Amino acid sequence: MMRDYWLSKLFFDLQVPAAADEYRADRDRVLDRYPLKPGVRLAVVQEDVTALAELVNPYLLRFYFVAIGKSEDWFLERIRNTRSAAQDEVARG
Amino acid sequence: MASLVGAFASSHAPLMARAWEAVDAARRDAISKTFSELARRVVEAKPDVLIVVSPDHWVNFFLNNLPSICIGVGETHKGPPEPWLQHLPYGSIAGHPEFAAHLARTALDEGFEPSLSHHLELDHGFVIPLWKMGIDPLPPLVPIIVNTIEPPMLSLRRCLAWGDLIRAAIERYPVNVRVAILATGGVSHSIGEHDMGRIDEAFDRECFEQFRAAGREPLLAFLEQRLEAAGNGAAEMRNWLMAHSAAQGKGFELLGYHPYPEWYVGCGFAAWNLGVR
Repeated sequence: MMRDYWLSKLFFDLQVPAAADEYRADRDRVLDRYPLKPGVRLAVVQEDVTALAELVNPYLLRFYFVAIGKSEDWFLERIRNTRSAAQDEVARG
Repeated sequence: MASLVGAFASSHAPLMARAWEAVDAARRDAISKTFSELARRVVEAKPDVLIVVSPDHWVNFFLNNLPSICIGVGETHKGPPEPWLQHLPYGSIAGHPEFAAHLARTALDEGFEPSLSHHLELDHGFVIPLWKMGIDPLPPLVPIIVNTIEPPMLSLRRCLAWGDLIRAAIERYPVNVRVAILATGGVSHSIGEHDMGRIDEAFDRECFEQFRAAGREPLLAFLEQRLEAAGNGAAEMRNWLMAHSAAQGKGFELLGYHPYPEWYVGCGFAAWNLGVR
């Protein structure tokens, strides 16, 4: 189990509607308040579900993409691909 | 002396509130009837105190403070923070601090170490079953939050021990009150994982049969072997284990099973027939 604390904290905080509103309006300003590692921040900016799924609790992951306005279909398509990505990783050793 | 007068279990799928209409009318009617039957059983038990065992979906607790189990000992509890539940009549929910404190003291005396909270927020895990049952007025609630969200979690065996403890605490409470327990969550479902939306009906049905017919050790063996593969939401069956052991593992009755893929959850509902009047 691997958890990125500050990424998790970001997702946790965005459960508050006003915080989610601010994030949608100015994502970079909000991200600047969290000491995210560069690769983690990049995964956030790129909306990389596969990478983010490795770093946070799955409930928080889902909350986050709801909070930023992604559709259920958008999220399901990507989260369901995380299995094949993990399998590819194993295959590559 | 207090007495345990009812033990119940209910799923709490959020999409029951957020996407009720996603399910067709016939199946909505079916699950509504199950909720009505569950409500009838709860009301018939006439509880003076209702213990509700549910997870915390990242509302009260976070990675900086993540208790395995927490008892709500407050005079009141705050209603759900989810924006999509603000229409529910649960802005403030009465607690039962005297019984809750007794439960906490009994736990500590018996070698259990719960966290305590004097003001919990009760998220959808608590309020969706209460709302859908429509019990009005609610008896005072003693919430017990069990971490079934973020590993590591209480062992399944420890959950049974907690159920035993809850029963012992009820029996030792020196006031003549009727206490019921409602476990929420489960059955199979997966949220935010690669198999999100998958319902494992075979697991769910076998699980019910294990609760109905198996002894503790076979039930534990079944869950230890199969629970993890039934999705991360199936971890909430820990709460059912607490109700089950509080009921001394007897009288399990499945009131309804509604595996609705539109809501992502194999929704299960149960009562334990305690033979109490």
